[in-house]
Amino acid sequence: MSDKHRRVLDALELREPDRVPVMDLMNEFSTCNAILEKKPNPLGKMLRDPRASKLMDRLFALPGSAQLTDREMERFTHLGAAAAVRMDYDAAWLSCFPVLRFRDSRTMTDIFGRLCDVSVDAAGNLANPIYREGLIKSPADWNAWPKRDILRLPEKVNRVFREVQQAYGDRLFIFAFANYGLFENAWQPMGFERFAVAARKEKDFLRRVIRFYADLHCMLVEAAADAGVPGFIHTDDLAYKSGPMLSPRLIDELFGEHYRRLTETARALGVKIVMHSCGNTTSLLEHFVSWGFDAVHPLEPTAGVDLAAAKREVGDRLCLIGNLDITHVLVDATREEVFEAVRQAISDAGKGGGFILAPDHSHPDISVQRLRWMVEAAREYGAYPLKNQDMRG
Amino acid sequence: MGEYMERVKSALANLEDDDLASLLREALEAGEEAADLLAAMSEAMVEVGERFEAGEYYLADLVLAGEVMKDGVAVLEPHLSAGDKGAKGTVVICTVKGDIHDIGKNLVGTMLSSAGFQVVDLGVDVPADKVVEAVKANSARAVGLSVLLTTMVGSVGEVVDSLKEAGLRDGVKVAVGGACVTDEVVERYGADAMGRDAVEAVRIFSGWME
Ligand code: B1M
Repeated sequence: MSDKHRRVLDALELREPDRVPVMDLMNEFSTCNAILEKKPNPLGKMLRDPRASKLMDRLFALPGSAQLTDREMERFTHLGAAAAVRMDYDAAWLSCFPVLRFRDSRTMTDIFGRLCDVSVDAAGNLANPIYREGLIKSPADWNAWPKRDILRLPEKVNRVFREVQQAYGDRLFIFAFANYGLFENAWQPMGFERFAVAARKEKDFLRRVIRFYADLHCMLVEAAADAGVPGFIHTDDLAYKSGPMLSPRLIDELFGEHYRRLTETARALGVKIVMHSCGNTTSLLEHFVSWGFDAVHPLEPTAGVDLAAAKREVGDRLCLIGNLDITHVLVDATREEVFEAVRQAISDAGKGGGFILAPDHSHPDISVQRLRWMVEAAREYGAYPLKNQDMRG
Repeated sequence: MGEYMERVKSALANLEDDDLASLLREALEAGEEAADLLAAMSEAMVEVGERFEAGEYYLADLVLAGEVMKDGVAVLEPHLSAGDKGAKGTVVICTVKGDIHDIGKNLVGTMLSSAGFQVVDLGVDVPADKVVEAVKANSARAVGLSVLLTTMVGSVGEVVDSLKEAGLRDGVKVAVGGACVTDEVVERYGADAMGRDAVEAVRIFSGWME
């Protein structure tokens, strides 16, 4: 077992490692390319160019075009791993996302029923698609929705992560991300307004959708485990800045048993499983424990999550990951400010282990220089036994 | 308040009635006035807002109430006179350029409609010139901007400046809301107010339209 692997595992199992591990979400072409000093793929430029985009419109209408997109997304998983290794991170959230389908040069769908705008960032990288609306509004839409590509996902995920684990697994603790979470895949393909009605009045329909995705997620965990990947990340934004989007009781009623099945599958396979939920998740922390997750990310500071309070509440049962602000700290803060934010986070949550430092999200404007400072500061303040702790820590 | 009014109000406020539309049809057939039924629903939405602020209702409950309200208004619509609808004035709302988060913006729109405003919703990722066009075309007196991405807060300033350039700023108030909005954003970009949630947004616009 490598030092990095042991360090991350210690933190996940709530022991004190030699130092606080650092991880990142390798979710943006722009950040990965900037780290590796690579030029953006010409696809981005072509999509923006009026003449080339006409050509792309014709290309995307051809039957084999999905393979082209899938290949680009597979390349992205490798790119993320290489960038994480270059940054000397201990762990990384790597996305394997062969789920996007261009309709033309401006719009795309995903295999789950989201309609999105194609997005290209300022540097010309393909950026995360911009969600517009859901295409599955009724049980009839759901029944008619083609599921072949969804059912093939575990096999693709298994193949890609096998390659990545073989190439980078000795230098990185990999958390596989391979699909949106159960809540997100329940609401986004139908839209939040439609979901709010269904959550009250069409529970049978919703339960059918949730069960389908829970089965798929269990298969994805199996696929990741079979590829030798040690971690899995379940991304479900259950909250926003004021707290959970649904009552915690309703979340538990609709999703609880499925989260438990997922975490039991991971545990049986020896895979560590992380719940990612943006927003203010304070009132959900006990639920994350009861559903069986090993860790929670990102404990978003701008949504009002108090890291020290979270540590006090569940730190003896749940590893805490994240908390570095991407609004200011990792975008345009000074070196001193980045160091201070890292020192504070470690002071709040590092005591006794059970903490992994990470940005609280990703976006194309995150500064690679500030990410480097984050790593540097974690080395300075994160060595156990910890120094520089606040008394309240 | 008559029996039907009470039933309509409690069905919506308690989110308990599975079919408010049928209840409204029954009330209309029984001779109730559409405008009174609309008023009962608006009162119920105020109560829903209060329960949301008190932490008893969650976001999904507020959104559900808004959807039920919309279905109800569709039933009443043919029976309402022009004066009954949007009597409080016109508000243009959107999510700013570069930002596509729309759940909060949609909710603010629904709550404003429920409270009697005429709402012109321009959608998401809306550039400043489109806002100005819509303000002109609808003689709107207020604009509501939703912004969740820090990288896009500058779009608020662009709307304020464009309204100034078009000579409209003095007659048009601008409120902002969304995850990354602070008092400092309001001040820096010259907006007039900030709404922490949809209920506060209704309060702000109601104050301006009095
Ligand atoms: C007067 O007018 C008014 C008055 C009041 C107003 C008002 C207007 N507008 C709102 N209000 C107020 O009333 C409403 C009701 O009470 C409230 O509205 P809100 O909009 O705040 O609340 C809604 C009712 C519910 N809240 C939400 O819907 C937002 C929740 C969170 C989790 C969120 C979601 C759901 C999504 N996201 Co995004 N997302 C996050 C959010 C986390 C958070 N802390 O909020 C946030 C906003 N996202 C973020 C990011 C980074 C991103 N997201 C993105 C995408 C998405 C989804 C598509 C997955 C989805 C949006 C779906 C949709 N249709 O809206 C991307 C952006 C795409 C784009 N160009 O916009 C992407 C860039 C991710 C990526 N790498 O691709 C972060 C922004 C960080 C920052 N400071 O800039 C973020 C804070 C999460 C985080 N962990 O940091 C009040 O603010």
